[in-house]
Amino acid sequence: MIKDFINRYKLQFLLIVSVVGPGLISAFADNDAGGVATYSVAASKFGYSIFTTLIPITLVLVIAQELGARLAIVTGKGLGDLIRERYGILVSLVVFGLLFFVNFGVILQDLSGLKSAFHLFGLPEVIFLPLAIIFLFFIITKSSYSRIERFFLFLIIFYLTYLFSAFLAKPDWSLAFRSLFTPGRPLSFDYLFTSVAVLGTTVTLWGQFFINSYIKDKKIMIENLKYEQIEIYLGSFLTNIFSLFIMVAVAATIFQNKIRIEGAAEAALALRPFAGQLASLFFGLGLLIAGLLGCAIVPLATAYAYSEIFGFEGSLDTDFKRSKLFYNFFLIQIIIGLFIVLLPEISLFKITLYADFLNGLMLPVIFYFLYQFANDEQLMGNYKNSKWQNVSLIAAAVIISLAALAGGIGNLLHL
Amino acid sequence: MLYFSELLRKKIYTEDRIFVGRLKDIIFLATEQPNITKIVVAIKQKHSVIVSLSFLKKINSDVILSKNYETCDLELNELYVAKNLLDKQIIDIKGNKIVRVNDVAIQDKPSFYIAGVDIGVLGIMRWLHVEDMIVKFCNNIGIKITSRFLSWGDIQPIELARGRVKLKKEDARLEKMRPADLADYLERTNIFNVKRILRLLKEEFAADVIAKMNVNYQTALFKHFSPEKAVKVISFIDPDEAVDILLALSARRREQIIELLPEKNKSEITYLLHLSKTPIGELITSEFFTASSTDTVDVIIRKIRAETADFSSLEYVYVVNEQKQLVGVFSLRELLMQDSATTLYKFMIQNVVVIHLTTPREIAMKKMLKYGLQAIPVIDDNKSVLGIVVFTDLAKTALKHS
Repeated sequence: MIKDFINRYKLQFLLIVSVVGPGLISAFADNDAGGVATYSVAASKFGYSIFTTLIPITLVLVIAQELGARLAIVTGKGLGDLIRERYGILVSLVVFGLLFFVNFGVILQDLSGLKSAFHLFGLPEVIFLPLAIIFLFFIITKSSYSRIERFFLFLIIFYLTYLFSAFLAKPDWSLAFRSLFTPGRPLSFDYLFTSVAVLGTTVTLWGQFFINSYIKDKKIMIENLKYEQIEIYLGSFLTNIFSLFIMVAVAATIFQNKIRIEGAAEAALALRPFAGQLASLFFGLGLLIAGLLGCAIVPLATAYAYSEIFGFEGSLDTDFKRSKLFYNFFLIQIIIGLFIVLLPEISLFKITLYADFLNGLMLPVIFYFLYQFANDEQLMGNYKNSKWQNVSLIAAAVIISLAALAGGIGNLLHL
Repeated sequence: MLYFSELLRKKIYTEDRIFVGRLKDIIFLATEQPNITKIVVAIKQKHSVIVSLSFLKKINSDVILSKNYETCDLELNELYVAKNLLDKQIIDIKGNKIVRVNDVAIQDKPSFYIAGVDIGVLGIMRWLHVEDMIVKFCNNIGIKITSRFLSWGDIQPIELARGRVKLKKEDARLEKMRPADLADYLERTNIFNVKRILRLLKEEFAADVIAKMNVNYQTALFKHFSPEKAVKVISFIDPDEAVDILLALSARRREQIIELLPEKNKSEITYLLHLSKTPIGELITSEFFTASSTDTVDVIIRKIRAETADFSSLEYVYVVNEQKQLVGVFSLRELLMQDSATTLYKFMIQNVVVIHLTTPREIAMKKMLKYGLQAIPVIDDNKSVLGIVVFTDLAKTALKHS
């Protein structure tokens, strides 16, 4: 009987394995170094009560990523392609300019996250940061799509370190579970603002561009759409499980002892007295990996959009010569970012704040585009949005728009 | 030449200044001869109509239609510029992505057709209305910035309907290109390739292509032809052009070919050849003015004032490219009609009527009379301008001889 069962599901399992990659990678990349920092700071301020934001965030992420995947598989085009072909060069230029600026802010966050992770392990960042960039550029240009994908998946395994950190922090698991559904405290303005920041680091402008382009680049057949959808759900779910672990580790230690932190590296250090050397080490390693993943994927998202909007060859499967403009654009972004981050005494705080704010403002715009494309009969045919999908998409867009608005006001007040 | 970016959203009026709507799109035949057939007029927000080009009166700052214009529908083989061509991905024969269509160039003289697509940065700048500014700025800091342009002959029209702008250079397709375009294309490849391609073409068409090539290519080709083949080609070519080619060959080879010519052509060509003893060499004057196609009108007017003060006459401005080859011409009147910031390549006439050093005086005169020219440029094998011949000088010598 078991054999029958296995045989019956073997094929389906293999099909899922064949599409695995984009959903997991792009969801986990949402927990990049900037993401880890935001989660840490949020949990250090509000403890377990901030966990309540995770379920809505997961749902919004699922809706946005599923639509991105569907658009890419059905049309075979990236979001940049679609925007240029439908809205022309002027709109494309504006979108691209904003995307570039926002992503550059995120790249700076990831590079400085990587920098502080190196610092944490006592590795001189002036040597190791450029080495890490050279390593990434080498992998991205020299490998085929599937090898790069395996590299990303390999990096994702290291997110398990957050699981260890969380357990070593000896949290109150039942309170953690209950907090997923109710914050257990009155909602303050500061709480809402922090929720928005958490949402903004998970559902991102670059994430929407990346999932579209990355899946387009994978050339998944339309018959396998449903397996890709399963992978998207899985990826969004798992990512937020790990977000939970990050926040659990911080909430159980740093929040309980009322220590104020302002970044992920500080969180790793502050973990040491309460959860031990090992937990701190795991947390730091997780940050290192998150930084690496972010530094590879965010500039890649801009480079994809660049080659799509202007129509240059841009695929991870092509060699450097054929996709020269694509790869160079990828490289230039990190190198400029690298110089900025390596400059001592430069505060990235304001730049990243502006980038986060713009990210929030752009999300409703991108959701508008997604809505238009998803309901275009000519483009999507039988795969266009159902009524139910439209309702959830609009709901997600409204949540994000309100969040962006609240976040913007919050930012203005804080500045 | 016009650009689609400049036409889009232009106001459309009837002759008696009644507002119709704005230009929304242009319809063309997706064939090797991409004639523009219709325009789409946006009447209201979501309502638009198609009007045949035959009702078009003129295009200046507005588009003017005749009073009794009628609407029509899209027909087979017709595609939209904005919907089917603009912003689309251009791929090469292997499917590699090259660039996107940034703008569409439209030829308006003598008739309306799609000349090609703009794939350069300037094509993007034009949409932002900063093209002239950028060109001027780059000129000021000493950088020459030029349009990157893809001729219609390089695009496969069949693929367009499938939403793809695909490039292809394939022999079977060559015949459908305009002879002048094909000649330009062939001049860039080697002589064996040219022979191979010409062999695939119908004789009459091949002759037309050869006639459009420059003289040193023609000479090289005729050296490879057997006399019989040469005769066939010559008999298809306009006698005036044929004489230019024959004069470039060795005397022995020329005699061979003339011997074999059919009687009808033979007498005319021998007569014209006889005239070649009166070449125009001594009539050439160097009082001519050249400009670069990327210069703007105001720059040229200033230059004319500064550089041609001592000229006895000036009728035309000749436009040359970076290799000093003649690529266009316009008269002073046409210059005066333009806005001061317009770049020359937008309004220059690309089909320049020219003669060679070997061209007989009579033929030069015939050409000038035929096209109503005050002066005609004399070019060498490299298409660069050696000088010009002014009509009055030609007329004087003609009087003397008679």
